Amino acid sequence: MSMIELQNIDLSVGQRQILKDVSLQIAKGGRLLIRGDSGTGKSTILRLILGLVQPDNGRVIIDEEVQNKHNIWSQRLKMAYVSQDMQLGRGKTESFIKEVFSYRNNRHLVYDRKELAKYFDLFGMNGVGPEHRLEDLSGGELQRVAIITALLLKRPIYLLDEITSALDANLKAKITGHFLSMKNATLVIVSHDQHWYEHDIQTLTLDS
Amino acid sequence: MTEAAPDITLIRLLLGFALLIIPAGLSWWVRLGIIRKMFVSTGRMTAQLFLVSILLIYLFDIDNPYINTAWVIIMIIFAAGASMMSSGLRFRHFFIPIFASYFLGAGFSLLYFIGIVVNPERLFTAQLLVVLGGMLLGNSLNSVIIGISHFYQALKKEKKRYHYLLSLGASIREAQMPFFREAVIAAMRPFLANMATMGVVFLPGMMTGQILGGASPDTAIKYQIAIMLAIFTSVTLSISLSLFFTARKGFDEYGVLKEELFK
Repeated sequence: MSMIELQNIDLSVGQRQILKDVSLQIAKGGRLLIRGDSGTGKSTILRLILGLVQPDNGRVIIDEEVQNKHNIWSQRLKMAYVSQDMQLGRGKTESFIKEVFSYRNNRHLVYDRKELAKYFDLFGMNGVGPEHRLEDLSGGELQRVAIITALLLKRPIYLLDEITSALDANLKAKITGHFLSMKNATLVIVSHDQHWYEHDIQTLTLDS
Repeated sequence: MTEAAPDITLIRLLLGFALLIIPAGLSWWVRLGIIRKMFVSTGRMTAQLFLVSILLIYLFDIDNPYINTAWVIIMIIFAAGASMMSSGLRFRHFFIPIFASYFLGAGFSLLYFIGIVVNPERLFTAQLLVVLGGMLLGNSLNSVIIGISHFYQALKKEKKRYHYLLSLGASIREAQMPFFREAVIAAMRPFLANMATMGVVFLPGMMTGQILGGASPDTAIKYQIAIMLAIFTSVTLSISLSLFFTARKGFDEYGVLKEELFK
């Protein structure tokens, strides 16, 4: 059974064709690493899966359902997305995470402060705690807050766009290792990072 | 009732214009290059106020509740138009919702102010409806412009943040919420600072006007306090409603912000 399927996707932005006849299939619990030069539409594939951009032709199928304007809201609840340059806004880190848990569609989830603290510890947020303000965090720290938020939401699909690029080697290994150890999670990874390549993952290479 | 301040004769008013020699002289001296602009602005102010005074004389003379109401609605149309012009948003998407939010927001505050606070025998008189309506709209205008443009500019600038919130399971409204809060705070901030220094740093125009017109400072202050409260309410309501009414228009069925909103 496939968790994510793209069928013959064409997509242009303005005059520029970004994706031409792209198809892919990822099984439940599968992992796909997308590589390619910049501008080849790697991030666009993740945005397609999230329903943030619509294809000119082709279909996006999530968990056996063709994505449309009605089911997109429930489909997004199956995904957690982290990208390289996160904008999380302002205010206390914990207030941000709590607000995410307060969304009507997330109310069934239990916010566990202990788990939050565990991840802060695990991902080496030295001296930075949930009480710190987002506007005081560095790019790498914001990225980790987004990674932690994604993990707390426990979605079945993780869409990870260059999430380790701003981190040091030690953290890269820790974070890639953590995601790859989640056996039931379906992962779509966009990365240039060697750390992912060392593992045996299905790879899709895009070219212009 | 104290006596009203003496009328200003036309000749004396012209002497008032003689004051312009000072800024014009200064502008020439240090080459500010704004002499022309200064005269155009002064001229516009004078002409517009004279025209309005003629209109007000007629409005006061006729003092028909329907005509008064119609004039308030015309003022609201101007206010909505001015908000659109300064916010960098497209007219055809936003004019009607913004008009509606001013109409309801400022309209409610105005009627509450007149009906409940002033509590006169007749509600729709030119003296109360037109004058207070203009006052309320004029003062709400700036804050509403700040609020609306802040909201949409922030969404445009921080599109990634908004889309990220959608990806976290937010509905359109939930993903807009942080932007909404920041926009309302931005709109309120100058107003709150203004209220906090009122009377200490400056005497507000309405109060000054009433005192010059012969009202006792005691009455003038009560009016001033009540109108500030009404303006505050009008601003909060107008911004919230305008964001509420435009929220659906600005986003597609997938919750994604439409680019064509911006000029």
